[in-house]
Amino acid sequence: MTAAASASLDRYMAARGRNRRRRWLIYLAMAVAAIWCLNDTVVADTDWERIGSLGAILSAVGEFIGIDWGLVPNLWQPALETIMVATLGTLLGVITCIPAIWFGAMNITPYAPVTYPLARLMMTLSRSIHEIVWALFFVAAVGLGALAGVLAIAVRSVGFIAKMSAEAIEDLDPKPVEAIRAVGGNDFQVFLYAILPQVLPAMISVIIFEWEINIRRSSILGLVGAGGLGLVFFRQLNTFNHPGVTTVIAAILVLVLLGEIVSHYVRKAVI
Amino acid sequence: MPILTVRDLRVRYSASGPEILKGVSFDVAEEDFFAIIGPSGAGKSTLIRCINRLVEPTSGEIVLYGENILGLGTRDLRRVRRGIGMIFQEFNLVDRMSVMDNVLSGRLGYVGNMTALLRLFSKADVSRALTVLDRVGLSDHVDKRADELSGGQRQRVGIARALMQDPKLLLLDEPTSSLDPKIAREILGMIKEIAREFGVPVLCNIHDVQLAMEFCNKIIGLQDGVKMFDGPTETMNKERLDEIYAMEVL
Amino acid sequence: MTVSQSIAGAPVREWSRIKYPQSLYRWGGIMLALMFLGYSIAYLNIPLERFIGMFGRVGTLITDRYYPPDIEYVLDKGYLATVLDTIRMAYLGALFGMLMALPLGWFGAYNVTPSRRFLYPVARFLTMGTRAVHETIWAILFVTILGFGMMAGVLALTMFCIGFAGKLFSEEVEGINMGPVEAIRATGASQLSVMVYGVFPQVRVAFTGIAIYTWDVAFRAATVVGFFGAGGMGWYLKRNVLQIETNRVAAILLSIIVLVLVSEGISAWARARVARAK
Repeated sequence: MTAAASASLDRYMAARGRNRRRRWLIYLAMAVAAIWCLNDTVVADTDWERIGSLGAILSAVGEFIGIDWGLVPNLWQPALETIMVATLGTLLGVITCIPAIWFGAMNITPYAPVTYPLARLMMTLSRSIHEIVWALFFVAAVGLGALAGVLAIAVRSVGFIAKMSAEAIEDLDPKPVEAIRAVGGNDFQVFLYAILPQVLPAMISVIIFEWEINIRRSSILGLVGAGGLGLVFFRQLNTFNHPGVTTVIAAILVLVLLGEIVSHYVRKAVI
Repeated sequence: MPILTVRDLRVRYSASGPEILKGVSFDVAEEDFFAIIGPSGAGKSTLIRCINRLVEPTSGEIVLYGENILGLGTRDLRRVRRGIGMIFQEFNLVDRMSVMDNVLSGRLGYVGNMTALLRLFSKADVSRALTVLDRVGLSDHVDKRADELSGGQRQRVGIARALMQDPKLLLLDEPTSSLDPKIAREILGMIKEIAREFGVPVLCNIHDVQLAMEFCNKIIGLQDGVKMFDGPTETMNKERLDEIYAMEVL
Repeated sequence: MTVSQSIAGAPVREWSRIKYPQSLYRWGGIMLALMFLGYSIAYLNIPLERFIGMFGRVGTLITDRYYPPDIEYVLDKGYLATVLDTIRMAYLGALFGMLMALPLGWFGAYNVTPSRRFLYPVARFLTMGTRAVHETIWAILFVTILGFGMMAGVLALTMFCIGFAGKLFSEEVEGINMGPVEAIRATGASQLSVMVYGVFPQVRVAFTGIAIYTWDVAFRAATVVGFFGAGGMGWYLKRNVLQIETNRVAAILLSIIVLVLVSEGISAWARARVARAK
């Protein structure tokens, strides 16, 4: 091996080593941060006496094992409510997000400097506030009940649906638009025959996906007074019927799984 | 008596940008199958798109059936556009719509918004669509989705859509560039046959000189926005071609 | 002769948009969905008249009770400390969740899973189960077992992130190019080496993006787990909601929005950087 080749090899090895060292440094920093966080949060904030021994934890967990079959007949109605709240909330969300989509797609927004940031703000607001908080707000506004849940779900859904739909419109293929213009179609017809057919499948797929997520969300809105499975969950917990708690969770699992199956087939059908 | 007269057509996409067409003039008669050839970037596509004002010319005159179409309002422009069939390089179909709906969309210039919204096309329109689809050999594919078809079949849908417009002029924008050579010949042959049968003049922009010489009776040679040649196909020769393509590197 | 004239001679032909049975299924499905929606409104007793009047009420609610937000309250030292706690909880939850999601993402990706008969369904079930149960339910469960405090919150967020990141990870792995994987396998490498040399380089950038995104989502969830006693700023929220201190609630909500915006900004910037580094 010549000296030059050996020097370049050395340089190469040094660069490789630097890269590797930098990566390990990042990992190390993450680990140190984790330890610091662990120490301050978990170690300092935990009532270790309340937890007791490992055996005590295991026995506490053990209480949750089992299914309360007697509860199952009482779950149909709340489960149905949960699905209904999710569905109505998704629908209302879709209606609400139409202006957000219109304003939020760069290529169709009426006046970009104002309407575009406005739509973006709407989307971020909707996504950044947790559904529990939205539900609390609407319970204060319209009282306890399903309506508050529907509204919370609707508002929470706007952000995601609007963002994905606006992106679908931005990615639109302009060629069919040109073709419909060339046959003498007006703006409305261009929208109907060139834009809508292109974005509708993507939008329906996003809506169904959001609906699936909303089932999961509406299953807990009972915690803040919006009915459904969440309410049953809370009742079982407060009466210390721990197998009942497990049963409700299993019901939620089944519901979400059903939602996933429906969503899978509907999305396959529209694409 | 020319059907289409273009005079001193100039186009700039932006006020400070380069001039794409630098004063092009020509006439199209009823029996013409006009080819526009030239190196890429010569302005062929822009020229075609000026005829139905998908591109707005900066100045000049385009007279179709005695009517200057520059300066027409939106409504009149739509009336003019519906009389000009256009066939595109990449077919420009809506992939997720059925062949039938794609073909019926050729009638959009004739129907109102409600008809369009509910897709309630008249019996006559539907019957015409079936006849036209028959003519282009797609009767077996009426209810398929456009993206289920092959390239050649998709272009036939494009032809059918243009025929639905009852066109008095056909514009072809590189109609065969996305197709393999054998299919390209078939498609051009079909368009030529249809144009002759219905007496519709054709203006076709095409980069394949071989095909242009074979199918067209007149040729316009464009180079960098300037017309270099305009005449019957027989008068085109090697030297003139070399001149038109002189600026193309390699 | 124009197209129209020559076509006029052709016989009139029939075609119908309505096809049996496809149209029946389609319109039947749409009708069923509409009926379900109408029935839902009736079943849930949704007072539509209240819905109409709601906009005015929400307006007065905001102007009368939530405005002005008590900004001083959220600048208080005690509150800021819980904000820091919330951030730390989200970090730990996201970190532990992703560490556990990594193997699950591997086992749950159909194309590279070591065992399709056993590990694949198990991994799928675990990611689906942890994801299906809402983070607040996890929080309540852990609070019930372990008592109040941030440990419950960290564990709840961990469970949530396992499901969230695990699903995205395995979907990403299922989308890789199998060519390099086969090549590594052909050298006689072990399952783990195939993973490290064939799969991981292909998904590294996407995984980093998912990791940042997971942190983002975890932080949003962390703002509310405290609501059920699992630590962080959620506890302040609950206390003030119960005491109807609406001006303070407004201030807390504002602080959450600001924090989420900041975290979203950082994560968008980080993801763009990672994508560029690709």
